[in-house]
Amino acid sequence: MQVTAFRNLLRGQHLFVAGMLAPAFVILALFYAYPTFQNLAISFTDLSLLGLKRGSNWVGFDNYHEFLAGAEFRHVLFNTVIWLTALSVALRLAFGLGIALLLDSPLLYRIRLATLAKVAVLVPWATPPIVAVVIWRWMLDPQNGIVNAILVKLGLVDEPVAFFADLRTVWPSVVTIIVWNTVPLIALSLLASLQSIPDELNEAAALDGASRWQQFRYITLPFLMPTLVVLTLMSVFWTFNNFVYVWLATGAGPGTFTNVLATEIYIKAFVDFRIGYSSAVGIVMAIVMAAFGLAYYRFVAPHELTDAL
Amino acid sequence: MRNRAQRLAALVLVSLLAAGPALADTVNLTFRFNDTEEKELRGALDQFEQQNPGIKVTLQRIGWRDARDQFLREAAVGQGPDVVHMAQVWVKEMGKAGALLPLNDLVKQSPPGSGFDDFMAQDLARNKEGRIYGLPWTTDTWAMVYRTDLLKQAGITKLPDTWKELHDDSALVKQRTGKAGFGFPAGGSASGAIWFLANFFWWSDGKAMVVQKPDGTYGMNLTAADIADAMRYFKSFITEGHNPTSNLSASDAHDPAILKALVTGQQAMAAMPPNTYKQVLDTYRETHPGEPVPFVSGPFPKGTVTRSSMVGGRMLGINVNTKHAAEAWKLVKYLASEPIFTKYYTTQFPAQRSLLQKVDWSPELKGFAEQLGYARTWGPYSDGPAPIGALWNATGRAFSAALSGQRSEQEAAQELVATVTKLMQARGQ
Repeated sequence: MQVTAFRNLLRGQHLFVAGMLAPAFVILALFYAYPTFQNLAISFTDLSLLGLKRGSNWVGFDNYHEFLAGAEFRHVLFNTVIWLTALSVALRLAFGLGIALLLDSPLLYRIRLATLAKVAVLVPWATPPIVAVVIWRWMLDPQNGIVNAILVKLGLVDEPVAFFADLRTVWPSVVTIIVWNTVPLIALSLLASLQSIPDELNEAAALDGASRWQQFRYITLPFLMPTLVVLTLMSVFWTFNNFVYVWLATGAGPGTFTNVLATEIYIKAFVDFRIGYSSAVGIVMAIVMAAFGLAYYRFVAPHELTDAL
Repeated sequence: MRNRAQRLAALVLVSLLAAGPALADTVNLTFRFNDTEEKELRGALDQFEQQNPGIKVTLQRIGWRDARDQFLREAAVGQGPDVVHMAQVWVKEMGKAGALLPLNDLVKQSPPGSGFDDFMAQDLARNKEGRIYGLPWTTDTWAMVYRTDLLKQAGITKLPDTWKELHDDSALVKQRTGKAGFGFPAGGSASGAIWFLANFFWWSDGKAMVVQKPDGTYGMNLTAADIADAMRYFKSFITEGHNPTSNLSASDAHDPAILKALVTGQQAMAAMPPNTYKQVLDTYRETHPGEPVPFVSGPFPKGTVTRSSMVGGRMLGINVNTKHAAEAWKLVKYLASEPIFTKYYTTQFPAQRSLLQKVDWSPELKGFAEQLGYARTWGPYSDGPAPIGALWNATGRAFSAALSGQRSEQEAAQELVATVTKLMQARGQ
């Protein structure tokens, strides 16, 4: 009798839970699953922006074959993975950690600059990406830019450098903008984690003769790892899919030198009007990111992610 | 106090009831405009609203770069502005996409200006079946612009007549004055200006990227060697230092860095449409009041066959989804009328022959008038199987890759030939 009542209660709870979750599932299905499957379906067609009213023809895997076997694929993938994602994420984490440690240092509190420094760090984060790109384009401008003026004045270069036109400087310039605009999130997230480390641990380690480096290596870093792991994952997803910085800074040029997957999608869809082809590129992007997420979760940081998420 | 409030409320109610039918009768049109003269156009639209009390016009402004694809997306789902501003070469493909209302009946019932035949570029407005999708609004062509003071300092006494002379004079300016010579935008964006220069270069040698064959099909009349030659020619300005390297990241004729260099005397030569040139002249006059203007325009250099440029310009079209076709046509006709070009939209030239004849070409603009005599329409480029935007993008990317050193001229030229061939075949030709 008691068992039956308990089962009924559980059944009632299941129904209640399902009822509570239903709206979220409906929203997910409408706004995530439907567009995803629609995009997948379009990727197998020759849909053109000029033919949205006429419809499209089924072309099977032609779009995928054209993209994956094309001459640009390796170049675009290299740009996306190495320049846009790996380098900018690595720099962002390194600078973010450095800034967080600086903001947490007792010296800043002693000279009463801690609050000012935190506000200053927030400024780039509060700057919209389009404004950040415009600001940096002006600063790096060969004729009127302050960076070139300083470099020439210091005698470091003879002629102003065309940062966004020279193949040697264009990627470092784009990465600089990305890092500048996004490093505050990393810094402030790590600062929050740093401030949660009990002072007693470092004090005890110092009494035991641990050096500053050893304290950082064996106390601070392990405490920061869960945050770092999540920030890395988020930064990779966010940067890999990012379109704004490259498009606004270089338009994927000179030539196609800074073309990445996101700009390739835009160019094919809205310049060449090939919606079907660009959908296929989008699906490839999604697969790459899903594979990365899975591998990261499975091999790199399973414990930290399980704890953090 | 209470009575007063009640009286006021009653007054408001009566006013609303009285205004109701009038508000309901008002037709609201949206005109999407892509040029920078938003303030001037608003003045023209205010005048239109005064002349047509039942019509209100909302002016939307959007950049040329996004105008075409945004309108196509909107029109496909039954949305978009009532009247749309288009480049002449977009009109037929937008009509084919089902985004534009055929204007034949409206033209017949209420002809614009001095009649539709008075308008130029009709071949770009009308498809093979005779359906008219746009009313040519403005016309222009590109020409060369020179700083006479810098040419004088460099000892150049006459404007360059051939492409070689242009190159040599550009080098001479750099050598003798230290300033930039022919500073052209060499970036590879989808709407980049290098597309125009490359085509003018080829056309002047009697070649073209797209031609119509005698059997009616379309093909390329350029070899990879022709393209590589053009790339080498334009690249030499950059490698020899008389076109600043920074122009590799500039794509538009109206790029602020180029206009500033012209106005401040840091650059001697440029290529541009007349509205951009007028901006240069106006800025110079504002910053140097009372001084003579040190600018002159001239035609593009000769190739082995002719000198050339394109008949360009804009058209106005009506969205196929509009609920107010008659009012939209009234607005289109008004925008094409003479006062618009003499009072409001003065940086542009009308596309009507009768109005164009009345244009007073100032001495600085004589080069544009001369160039118009050599200008050709995009013709087969617009009629052919490949979308002109895709050709434009591929050409810009290939030139930018070659000029920046990302690819050799041969590689970039071969890739461009392959891309264009594929684009032409993809559309069943």
